[in-house]
Amino acid sequence: MRRAGVACTYAALVGVACSSSSSSGSSGLSPNVIALPADNVAEVSVDYGLPNIGYLNGLFATVTVCVPGSTSECQTIDHVLVDTGSSGLLLLGSVLTLSLPALTDDKGATLAECTQLISGSLWGPLRSADFSIANEQAKNLAIEVVEESTYPMPTSCTGTNYGDPNDLGANGILGVRTSLQDCGPPCSAAVGRGSENPGIYYACSSVATDGCQPTAVSLAQQLSNPVAFFSQDNNGTIIELPAIPEEGAPSVLGSLVFGIGTRDNNGLGQATVIPIDLGAMFTTKYPTNGNAVTAFIDSGSNATYFLDSGTTHIPTCFSAKYPEVSAFYCPTSTQNLTARILDYTGQVGLNVNFGVANALNLSQYNFAFDDLAGPSGAPSSGTGFPSSYFDWGLPFFFGRNVFTPIEGEVTTGHAGPFVAF
Amino acid sequence: MQTIAIASTLLRKVLPTCTFLALLFGSSPASAALGGDASSIGTGQTHLLASARIQRAATHVMHELQAPTGTKVREYLGNDGKVFAVSWQGPFRPDLRQLLGAYYDTYIQAAKGRVARGPVNIELPGLVVHMSGHQRAFYGRAYLVDRVPQGLSTDEIR
Repeated sequence: MRRAGVACTYAALVGVACSSSSSSGSSGLSPNVIALPADNVAEVSVDYGLPNIGYLNGLFATVTVCVPGSTSECQTIDHVLVDTGSSGLLLLGSVLTLSLPALTDDKGATLAECTQLISGSLWGPLRSADFSIANEQAKNLAIEVVEESTYPMPTSCTGTNYGDPNDLGANGILGVRTSLQDCGPPCSAAVGRGSENPGIYYACSSVATDGCQPTAVSLAQQLSNPVAFFSQDNNGTIIELPAIPEEGAPSVLGSLVFGIGTRDNNGLGQATVIPIDLGAMFTTKYPTNGNAVTAFIDSGSNATYFLDSGTTHIPTCFSAKYPEVSAFYCPTSTQNLTARILDYTGQVGLNVNFGVANALNLSQYNFAFDDLAGPSGAPSSGTGFPSSYFDWGLPFFFGRNVFTPIEGEVTTGHAGPFVAF
Repeated sequence: MQTIAIASTLLRKVLPTCTFLALLFGSSPASAALGGDASSIGTGQTHLLASARIQRAATHVMHELQAPTGTKVREYLGNDGKVFAVSWQGPFRPDLRQLLGAYYDTYIQAAKGRVARGPVNIELPGLVVHMSGHQRAFYGRAYLVDRVPQGLSTDEIR
């Protein structure tokens, strides 16, 4: 086996000794209320993930897709990653057994997409499905079936190919980001020299290599946050996970709630509203009087990724055998830190506590950690690009109800895009 | 040349205060890539046809290309005329195969064993690659460790 996966990697690194620290997690905070089962509530879990692959801090949901119009030709798929950092439903073709109709352009060519992730891509044709989760349904939803079996990945679709479940670590992605479409108006513009179209949607006229060429697609055919297409509870989502002990937990159950302020179980309540910019960004200062760094909340990132060792004075992990562990911090003992979250204009702010554990000392029996953290990069200065995003990944969600409204939807009196928690 | 007309328009609109402006577009199919020559800069980058600026420093020359998609790409050239670093930022990730050139496969191999599900921080004996962001907001940079000019901090490669 080339790679036993995250869990086994860690088991090997940790050895037999596990931390038996019994300190309670965050103190002084009242526990968040987690919605009980209801028509608009789906159970989600942070657990081992797919058998024999494993995943640290993966938030998973189970979804059902049906052939459009059918109630019998359906398939339920577990371990679909819930991602507030992207929009749209993508399912691995290796898992999907249904025959779903293709989305086509006006010439009958199959539409496909090279969906961009941070460091790689998911490639496959667009298909139409009736999607349901909890008791909510989106009919004729455009989804991406991640596969190369029909149309090979174009050479212009670059970076790590996450179409392999060993690399994705999930059966798909349920993207419930603040933006409605994954691309938006640029992908509707005609392609060609000087066009704003990034060329991530393709029309496939042949199964030959590069038989798929960049094309314009309407907003309606783009991958979109499926929640917006529910007949109700369609203005956003709430992710509700309980607080967990400092040593982590083998699995955690929580709720993915649909709608914000649409029922008595999804009100904004006393949550702090943080306005975000068009890139869904706000800012964060660490330390609380430090420089403001562009920041975002992303359930699809499995750790709190921030700054670098030079700025935080926290060493990254080192292992000659597993050099990839340098992606995490390894302080000698768990650090309990405080950062200041501010909206993108710097007006609204609050302090947030978070932990940074030694990633090589994590219990091999646990897969949910609220103190897994790693470097994002040195903050830029002068004319540099804003290169060191403060990425509030899944650890941020434990013990909080995190609201992700969809752009353009009316949510309880707040104008403009925001996140709240 | 049609490209120049498009570029000129956008240069006036987008980059009024640049220290030095230049048009860097040609029609050869070569690509501007890490480790490549200055003569190849800006060519073959089908998504990078909008505008450009040049910033000169004692240790290097930085070329910045702004794509019509909103994404900016910067290429850092040493005094030997070779690209020792690239960086990008914007709503869409540029073509990594074109940007990383001969180092693309090395990067793909190194990224295979990652256990992090978030930013990329790959540090190989010669090649460093950082990527961060999320959908519609990407950032990245890559540099050849041994070719970064003396006197230039890698923190300045942004």
